[in-house]
Amino acid sequence: MAAFWMAILICLTSRLAAAEVDVQLDRDSVPAGNGAQLTLTISGDNAGQPEIPEVENLIVQPRGQSKQVQMMNGHTSVSVTYTYIVGSNTPGDYQIPAIEVVVDGKKISTRPLKLKVLGQGAAQPPPGIPANPAGTSPAAENTEDASKRFGFLTVELAANDRKHVYVGEIAPVRIQAWLPADSRAGLRSGIQPEGKAFTLHNVSSHPQQSQEMKDGKRYTVITWFGGMSATKAGKYPASLSLDATVAVRDSSAPKPRRRMGGPFDDPFFDSVFDQLDTPMIQKDVTLKSDDQEIEVRPLPTEGRPAGFTGAVGDFKFDSEEIPNTWKTGEPQQITARLSGSGNFALMNAPDLTPADAWKTYPGKGEFTAGDEASFSGSKSFQFSAVPRKGGAREAALAFSYFDPAAGAYRTLTSQGREIQVAGEDIPEDKPAAAPAVIEPENPRVGLIGQHLKAAPAATLVPLVSRPAFMYLIEISAGLCGLGIILAWLRVRREDPKRRALAALEKATREALEAANAAKDVPGFFAAARLAMQQRLGALWNQPAQAITLAEIQSRIPDDSPVTRFFHEADRHEYSRLASGEILPQWRALLAEALASLTPSTR
Amino acid sequence: MNRIFAICLFCLLCGLAAVRASAFDNANEKFKSGDFAGAATAYEKILTADGPDAAVYYNLGNSYQQLKQYGPAILAYERARLLTPRDPDLLANLDLARKAAAAFEDNARDPRLEAALNFLSRNEWSWLVAGAALFLGSLALLRGVVRPAQFWPRRCVLVCSGLAGLAIAVGATALYLRRAEADRGIVLTDNATVRLSPFENAEALGTPGSGHSVHLGAKNGDFHYLEVPGSNLHGWMSNKDVGAITPGHGTGR
Repeated sequence: MAAFWMAILICLTSRLAAAEVDVQLDRDSVPAGNGAQLTLTISGDNAGQPEIPEVENLIVQPRGQSKQVQMMNGHTSVSVTYTYIVGSNTPGDYQIPAIEVVVDGKKISTRPLKLKVLGQGAAQPPPGIPANPAGTSPAAENTEDASKRFGFLTVELAANDRKHVYVGEIAPVRIQAWLPADSRAGLRSGIQPEGKAFTLHNVSSHPQQSQEMKDGKRYTVITWFGGMSATKAGKYPASLSLDATVAVRDSSAPKPRRRMGGPFDDPFFDSVFDQLDTPMIQKDVTLKSDDQEIEVRPLPTEGRPAGFTGAVGDFKFDSEEIPNTWKTGEPQQITARLSGSGNFALMNAPDLTPADAWKTYPGKGEFTAGDEASFSGSKSFQFSAVPRKGGAREAALAFSYFDPAAGAYRTLTSQGREIQVAGEDIPEDKPAAAPAVIEPENPRVGLIGQHLKAAPAATLVPLVSRPAFMYLIEISAGLCGLGIILAWLRVRREDPKRRALAALEKATREALEAANAAKDVPGFFAAARLAMQQRLGALWNQPAQAITLAEIQSRIPDDSPVTRFFHEADRHEYSRLASGEILPQWRALLAEALASLTPSTR
Repeated sequence: MNRIFAICLFCLLCGLAAVRASAFDNANEKFKSGDFAGAATAYEKILTADGPDAAVYYNLGNSYQQLKQYGPAILAYERARLLTPRDPDLLANLDLARKAAAAFEDNARDPRLEAALNFLSRNEWSWLVAGAALFLGSLALLRGVVRPAQFWPRRCVLVCSGLAGLAIAVGATALYLRRAEADRGIVLTDNATVRLSPFENAEALGTPGSGHSVHLGAKNGDFHYLEVPGSNLHGWMSNKDVGAITPGHGTGR
């Protein structure tokens, strides 16, 4: 008996002990517009539906409930978990009052909770990590994090040992877009300089992609190589921008607890499922680099070689071909190839030395890129030269450029070659005979003097840009069209076949008119027969005299009006009947016969 | 009466020509004496009063070059080049000005093709095309009116037509390849700034540098939209900082 009462007592005690209510917020603060997860766990049977008290500007959204039943050593415990998302669009400090729940007929209250709602754009530290561990200004830190939340750009000179560039130099730069590792991004524009004095060149079309860690975060890094150049000396910020659409996971979004039972009901899987469940935020952003100031130095005027044409970089002669034997006044081809890195666009062909012994002509240059951004490569030149002075001498090629790394001009000279030039010297003022070579550049180096005679006044606007040009072209087209029409008409008029046909038609018409005008039967049939013969001859491409009754019968059925007409005509001709009235049926037969000469008769 | 009128007209024309020649000589004297600014002003006046003249533009370019104003110098040379494209003095001085201004031409075309295209000015190419077209039209009309046997031998007509057709094709190709020159301009000052929008206080995008060649686009008030070839710099520039080589598209400077 004592054991029975003891069992009942234990049972009652256990039931009373199980009736409890617990409430938790998964974080203390959230940015405005986001929510924190509130979990209300009620242990005990016969628990009523909890009611969350209303707080002004605080939004509470129920996210579901779950029930757990546990049996242990014959003891059964039941708990129900309610999940809510709590947040606000208005920043401020909120207090969630105690929540009352009726369990087994008893009212149980929870402790009040506090929630801080931060301003827009504020970042939320993950639960368990202090909001401001370094003690820096939270506002500044949050603003910086928010601006880089969707990624950022970095730009740096590929040559790290230099912080300056020269005017005209295309300095290689490395441009990197840092995007959060788990983000999705689409580029909406190319990389653009943010203004100032720099321009971008030859940005690689196939950027490299890698994963890198920076400040403890993992990023997907897209790397381009390109060239930056400036046309004016000074200090300018080299800032770049890139328009992109980036989608990142919203780490501030609440992560529902997934203690739902089943094979994945283990904390190990939480991070995996949380990652999948976290919603993405997509935004059109302009990724910008920091305003890193780069000094642009002018090209020094001191020591500038005469042959310098603007090439800036580092170059060397790869090969050169200078023929061994020459003749004064006769041009020959010279080829040379320079390689290196720099501004190949401003690289002209090397000069032939000694300069006074040669006259050179513009040739062609072909650039072969050595890398995707066209910084390095080689340029082959081919040009013509005419020797002015005879005799044996050493010829070499010279090329001047500015070396930005050393900050000095350099003049490369190719290996000298002993050449033999036959023929007499050509005086300076006499132009060298250079057949089939394009007009040479003017070799004079100083400013050439004034023109002393004014030319007649003219207009700067070319004819092609004036309305008169279109009028002239239209007049020309009109003349062409008119000429073609007139020529066609003349050819048509003078065509012998057409003329013969016209004559035949005329003769047939006259014969028919004669038949119509005939007063006697023989006259009628003679004229009508002639008209029919001419018509049939034209159709069958035979002379009119060859069209007889036999010919007609061989081509046309006997009952046709044509055959019947010829029968009638022959009958009158051979019967030698005296002339009488022309019967109307004969005229009708003639008309029917003419009408029957349709194309199907042919 | 008519004779008197003709004599008066002749005298008037001679007088105008003498005044014009005198102004030109005076400007040249100023240049010789080293008064380059005065010479430039005098040349500008002659151009304003009498219209375009290759020699005046050339001398004006020399004056500006002596003043180290390479932008206006290159603009004057380029305008002279429209009128006398094969003048070796002009080409040499233009080259000097470009080098001094570090405004190197970035030609993507083969130099021989470039030389062939520039052998004639755009005006000369257009006259070649229009003349050849008129000749071809006249030939066609004559061919339509008169029989070939009565006119020229058939072979002669064919050769002439072929040559005219070739001239039209070559001229039209040259004009097509040089079509971008119609809206070319020259940056006149070192500090000329390309801006994001056509306002004085708009964000500066870059400074192409004096003497650089640009492609002019639409005009908006005191600003011109332009693109700097060989770079991705484009935006608005004040009219006073850029001059169109062919007037009518630009500042009228």
